[in-house]
Amino acid sequence: MDRRSFMKVSGGLALGGLPWYRSFAADADGFPMGCATPMSGVFAEIGKYSLIGAQAAALDVPEVLGKPTRIVSIDSEGNPGVAVRKVREAMQRTGMRYVSGALLSSEAIAVGKEMNRAGGVAFVGAGADEVTGSECNRATFRWSSTTYGAIEQTVRPLARLMPQARRWYTITPQYVFGDALLNNAKRIFSEMGIEHVGNSYHSLTESEFSGYLTNAMAARPDVLLILNYGAQSTATLRQAVSFGMKQKMTILMAYSDGVTQFHSLGKDIVEDVYFGCQYWHGVDAPTNKHFVELCRRNFKVTPPYNTALTYISTRLTLEAINRVGSADPAGIAKALEGWKYDGLTGPEEIRAFDHQGLKDYYLMKGKPAAEVSDPDEMAVIVSSGESTIPVEQSLCKMAGA
Amino acid sequence: MSLYLLQIFNGVGIGMLYFLIAVGLSIIFGLLRFVNFAHGAFFMVGAYLAYAVSVSLGMGFWSALAAVPALVFVLAVALERVLLRRAYRLSHMAQILLTFGLSMILQELAIVIWGTDGLHMPTPDALGGVVEWGGFIYPKYRLFVMAFTAALAGLLWWLLEGTRLGAVVRAGSEFGDMTALLGHDIPRVFMLVFGLGAALAALAGVLAAPIRGVEPFMGLDGLSIAFVVVVIGGMGSFAGALVGGLLVGVLQSVLSSVWPEMARPVIYLCMALVLLTRPYGLFGRG
Amino acid sequence: MRDTALRAADLLAAPILLAVLPFVLPSYDQATEVIVFAIAVLGCNLLLGYTGLLSFGQGIFFGVGAYAAGYAGSQLGLGLPAMLAAGALLGMAAALFVGAFAIRQRGVYFVMLTLAFAQLFYFLAYTYRDVTGGDNGMTDVPRPPIALPGGAALDLGSAPAFYVFCAALFLLAFFGLRRVIDSPFGSTLVAIRENETRAAAVGYSVRGFKLAAFAFSGLLTGLAGALHAPFLGIATLTTIDVTMSQAILIMTLIGGGGTLAGSLAGALFYVVLSSWLSAFWPRWPMLIGFLLVAISLCAPGGLWGWLQNALLSRRQPGEVRDAAG
Repeated sequence: MDRRSFMKVSGGLALGGLPWYRSFAADADGFPMGCATPMSGVFAEIGKYSLIGAQAAALDVPEVLGKPTRIVSIDSEGNPGVAVRKVREAMQRTGMRYVSGALLSSEAIAVGKEMNRAGGVAFVGAGADEVTGSECNRATFRWSSTTYGAIEQTVRPLARLMPQARRWYTITPQYVFGDALLNNAKRIFSEMGIEHVGNSYHSLTESEFSGYLTNAMAARPDVLLILNYGAQSTATLRQAVSFGMKQKMTILMAYSDGVTQFHSLGKDIVEDVYFGCQYWHGVDAPTNKHFVELCRRNFKVTPPYNTALTYISTRLTLEAINRVGSADPAGIAKALEGWKYDGLTGPEEIRAFDHQGLKDYYLMKGKPAAEVSDPDEMAVIVSSGESTIPVEQSLCKMAGA
Repeated sequence: MSLYLLQIFNGVGIGMLYFLIAVGLSIIFGLLRFVNFAHGAFFMVGAYLAYAVSVSLGMGFWSALAAVPALVFVLAVALERVLLRRAYRLSHMAQILLTFGLSMILQELAIVIWGTDGLHMPTPDALGGVVEWGGFIYPKYRLFVMAFTAALAGLLWWLLEGTRLGAVVRAGSEFGDMTALLGHDIPRVFMLVFGLGAALAALAGVLAAPIRGVEPFMGLDGLSIAFVVVVIGGMGSFAGALVGGLLVGVLQSVLSSVWPEMARPVIYLCMALVLLTRPYGLFGRG
Repeated sequence: MRDTALRAADLLAAPILLAVLPFVLPSYDQATEVIVFAIAVLGCNLLLGYTGLLSFGQGIFFGVGAYAAGYAGSQLGLGLPAMLAAGALLGMAAALFVGAFAIRQRGVYFVMLTLAFAQLFYFLAYTYRDVTGGDNGMTDVPRPPIALPGGAALDLGSAPAFYVFCAALFLLAFFGLRRVIDSPFGSTLVAIRENETRAAAVGYSVRGFKLAAFAFSGLLTGLAGALHAPFLGIATLTTIDVTMSQAILIMTLIGGGGTLAGSLAGALFYVVLSSWLSAFWPRWPMLIGFLLVAISLCAPGGLWGWLQNALLSRRQPGEVRDAAG
């Protein structure tokens, strides 16, 4: 081994073995509560808000079993492999057994399985129904509403609101989540006699939607149903509005991040568009009011969906541990099952069958731009309700286990 | 039938913007033989500075359109003098590594300054709304972008083919030593061309911002597009960037009606095909 | 005497290093991650450091290896040796496929071609979700015990056991590669890197050698991917996308050299640095960016041995330099 290589290796080892690296990680005191979320990479926006939620929960539950609550932040980097490895490491380093956080669907499934294998509880948020569906397990819980619920609480109420809108066009991202939304929508279309005049699939890296929108316009729909998410839905809506589609049809975005997305869009684009939201800070529930106040005061932010989901998931986990009086994951999982509590959308429940949260989903409408004075209040709730995939239709096979 | 015409028209619109993103990369490679993986970062920086000038400073879109390319020109020239100049004599690998590292730095810097969230840049009031003519509906802003980039393409063409500077650039790209011996300040020409290439990318960023919004990872998208267009059209060729951009844009737009899932992947397929059959691209020279 | 001492040190350094690694790093898992990527870096190094080919397609072979092993294990119920063999061989097949097309071009066109292929393979993995699991990934990749002659079974379920297994494979791969590099085949690769025209003029089938290099690279990288899948229990799109190719390249370029220390150093440095930094600062990629800038510019200064060779090879073909390592 030549000198250069030796220096390189020594450098690497030194980095790895630095005492401060290890002492930073391994804390003798403090109860470790993991928050796994993408803090870097393309999905860094999710992580930023998610971590705030965990920190807010730590403020509300400052002690767990006599020890101070310590949030262990894990940057999943938008990569399920990285997420699993870092979660495993955190478990080994800190003794962490509980993790929450807003994750990508692939990350959530992977982390949930890892916690199940290693012995822990993962209370995650993700879009894919597989998390509490075909990939459900004893260790994984999810607060976010299912795609079933997202579509039931947006397409159906809007269709009822506009009985003359019989022609709907969909724009769908071509992957499992997109298909789940689309299939649910098609089901409702056939139930309500709505004509599905066309669908445009697109890839996950697309940012130019003018072609799809032109196609949609040619089909002359009454409603444009946008089924993609995040930056793609922002781009689709922005471009749809620029093509003057708002004047020709109604636009519904079934799965929106809520307040942060409205900021990205601006009030002129948000005006008169319908949005489906997992969470809204304006909802008049006691826990929610407290939570929003907490976020505004301590973190100077009006909480969006990712903050809310991490907050409630973390808080429920920590409170369960305190209630049960032990940190044994199997016991805590049992305690969480069937728990009814005052949640962020009103009274909520964790369904024991598949560990799926039962909560409201909101249909919102953008206010006229002239009436918007507060950027946090660009939209109002039109309807809300709880719809979750019925037990008979669920692919979850946990009950037999 | 008219849907396809509309898609082709839309494709031309998209394609003009792709041309603008790519032409800077093509010129830089053509003259400097320099592979610039930071090209997308200039696209992103242009969009962010446009936001800063038009929204944060409240000076409006037109000020941004004028000021931002100039700002990025200066930034690029500075980077060229301080950093990139040392890399010309290195192999392509080193250049890729250097510019790739630079793009990572710029991307994260944008997040540090402006945060992770996407920002909204409104279309200028004069260009809001759509043009409606029979069955033809098209946003005024996109029409403006098409016209503007067409005019700019004409200007660039004249610059490269009709002026002395352009002659020096073209000569320098093929016969660098000879041109230097004839008394031209090649390093200075390189510097100006690099600045110009970056400024064009930034200009594309300004124009694209109201269409696609401003977010930190748009540079990656811009870079991918630029590479595909430049490979198809031919590295170092102005006409290639134009034809390549239009081809990619039209293909993408038409496919979104005919075979929507393939609209994105097909451009990489084309890229691979061109590289295999005509590696120098449709218009490139070695 | 000194020579034999140096050789002994070279040979012993490997096992000693691998024995020490899990105790210096925070966990066996992180050490395993380093090893798995070090094997991939060996594969990339063969192409980049020795043959002078900058491939943005290493992620393809890694991902194919991961999916192949995952499929063999979870869908076909095969044992671990079969999973690894499937991964390595399919990785090699993919490399031959990509290489056959890519080596038709040189320089930056070669790089672009590998990039285009990377995007296309990603698209395939993403579309054929019945096989790969699509965006959700292939879950439930098992880590079955290896049946030994005599009825016993080697259980690799625990982190230390799997680490030792991977370390053993790394040593195997390394010494295997060492043999290849030291052979006339290896010298020819270096000759091609230094001056391709001259190598062809002398009579070597440049295409054949490049393709062979691709095959070996694919084999090693596929093996790494095949280890990665049972390591984490999943095979996802991130194993096959462009960011994986980029990460492997960065590790290779940081570490440099065909020595044990080189590939191990690169993987170690990158994995540890990114893990450590990401716990502190979400903007850690910026520091990686600075590192890359520093490396690319300091190379001419001779700080990183072979890197200097590789990077300057195109510009000064007449220059004599020592063999890498």
